[in-house]
Amino acid sequence: MSATTAAAGGGSLRPWLLLAPLLVFLAAFFLVPLAQVAVMSVSDPEWGLEHYVAIATDGFHLRVLLDTFITALTVSLCCLVLGFPLAYAMAAAPQGLAAAMMVVVTMSFWTSFLVRTYAWMVLLGNRGPIARFVEWMGFASPELLFTRFSSTVAMTHILLPYMVLSLYGVLKRIEPALPRSAASLGATPAGVIRHVVLPLAAPGIANGLTLVFVLCLGFYVTPILIGSPREQMVAGVIGQQVEEFLAFGEASAMAMLLLASTLVILGLYHRRFGLDRLWG
Amino acid sequence: MASQVFSRRAALTLGGGIVAGLAAPYFRRVRAAEVLHVNTWGGIWERAAIKNLFEPFTKDTGVEIRPVSPVSFAKLAQQVRSGAYEFDVTTLGAGEIIRANQANLVEKLDNTDLVKNPPFAGAAFQNGASSHAFATVIAYQKSKYPNGGPQSWADFWDLQKFPGSRCMQRYASRILPIALAADGVPADKLYPLDLNRAFRSLDKIKPAVRVWWTQGQQSQQLLRDGEIDCIALWHARTLELIDQNQPVEIVWNQAEIERAYWVVARGTPNRDNALRFIESALKPERVAGFCKDSLNGPLNPAAFNFVSEAEAARMPTAPAYKDKVFEQDILNFGGDVNAATQRFERWIGT
Repeated sequence: MSATTAAAGGGSLRPWLLLAPLLVFLAAFFLVPLAQVAVMSVSDPEWGLEHYVAIATDGFHLRVLLDTFITALTVSLCCLVLGFPLAYAMAAAPQGLAAAMMVVVTMSFWTSFLVRTYAWMVLLGNRGPIARFVEWMGFASPELLFTRFSSTVAMTHILLPYMVLSLYGVLKRIEPALPRSAASLGATPAGVIRHVVLPLAAPGIANGLTLVFVLCLGFYVTPILIGSPREQMVAGVIGQQVEEFLAFGEASAMAMLLLASTLVILGLYHRRFGLDRLWG
Repeated sequence: MASQVFSRRAALTLGGGIVAGLAAPYFRRVRAAEVLHVNTWGGIWERAAIKNLFEPFTKDTGVEIRPVSPVSFAKLAQQVRSGAYEFDVTTLGAGEIIRANQANLVEKLDNTDLVKNPPFAGAAFQNGASSHAFATVIAYQKSKYPNGGPQSWADFWDLQKFPGSRCMQRYASRILPIALAADGVPADKLYPLDLNRAFRSLDKIKPAVRVWWTQGQQSQQLLRDGEIDCIALWHARTLELIDQNQPVEIVWNQAEIERAYWVVARGTPNRDNALRFIESALKPERVAGFCKDSLNGPLNPAAFNFVSEAEAARMPTAPAYKDKVFEQDILNFGGDVNAATQRFERWIGT
């Protein structure tokens, strides 16, 4: 014990040396630009908190922010509902099958989200298989694209792997004897899930919800490409402020607000579960 | 201990070296004098510019031209702020060129031949060289309207006579005049825009607009996939679809013309060559070739001497269309363009 402490004490600089390239990189290309954005939010075009006041007082920005949160919440819950059975099946499956399922999940994870968005455009389009099938059944083809439905489906699909992987991590660690003994003591299958599996999986659920929610907050390409015109995400409005209006100050203020809300959510997660567990 | 001091210094050197290495692309722009970087739209636009504008210029002057894309107005502003130039020359639309002048982002043309001895009327506008024009036109699916689709913006707005889904560009300064034309305002009375009337007119068509396109590629895809029946899009994108034998019809009547101008980024070290280039780019033969290949319309009237009648029929600035089309007039917009755009964006989102 004392030998380890001494070694760690003597080489206390060494871990930092190993980290130095990364720290320098992060400082130069992440912290400095981020600080610039923070300064711009109160200094462009002139010094003052006017952008924050404008965001807080005009209904538009608050509505966009609220819309973004509602979308992120919907997508997180959809991911949970779809992801839980999948992760549960993966955890319970024999090793070979579980590995195959894992490959399928991660393959969709590695496919570019733009490609997946375009794939949904084809699937949900007027001439896509779903519309064709509905027509073949004798109904008028529904307009699926450019609705809240289409963007929610696509974002759920894109973010689902994060949910499945974080749920799989905890479900796999549940001692198989626990649900079995609950069943042998007379619990129904639903009872086993509700009273044994769900409480044990709670950290994974919170973990998956947080990851999906935070990632979803920054999304905007998918809703722009296939969502309803009425649906606006904060990130999209920020991009527009910069590209179209050269309003760097206003865009920076919104970006800081988005960053702050992300940090609040991560902070809440940290207090309850500890941030070090977020990535499983 | 000595070894630790040394390794700390080594680490600093190493770290500094890595930062310098990573940052190099951003600072490397210490350039050879005889290279000009021109911002292009990529695709056929860039190929047309290289063949008809860049190569002849290099042949005349020995100055090499390197194309840079994509086009970004924000980047033009950022360049002048930071002093690091990724491109020396770019093209801007009328709305952008006015904003660029307000923000002092482009070089003045006062002492050039474009102003002192213009090759044609209107060759210089707001420190830009009038190059070419494109148009926003009506296009529709032939299969949806076998007896002919909408022939005017009023028809486009008429959901009883021409039922079906609509699509327009998410671009206020382009759509607001069209909304007024649809509401019956004659072409010569459009400007200054009556914004309230324009938004009332837009309210009428809003439910039929399934999607507001933002990328040219996307507008084409929507038409090709049969996702929408009737669309307001760029004439070049429509011609491309027709050339690919897509069942799409183009309507030249009431085409809304917008000019594009060459500008020089303010403060660029290659100012002189950049000015020479934008003057050369207006030569009738060159701009004619460029417009033929890039599907634009030349603004230099002399260019039509180098264009066949069939080719002119594909150009919104052709003399034959003169009485059918109308032009954007941003200087006489009728209010702050940015404010109108903000209002438009909020209107879409509600």
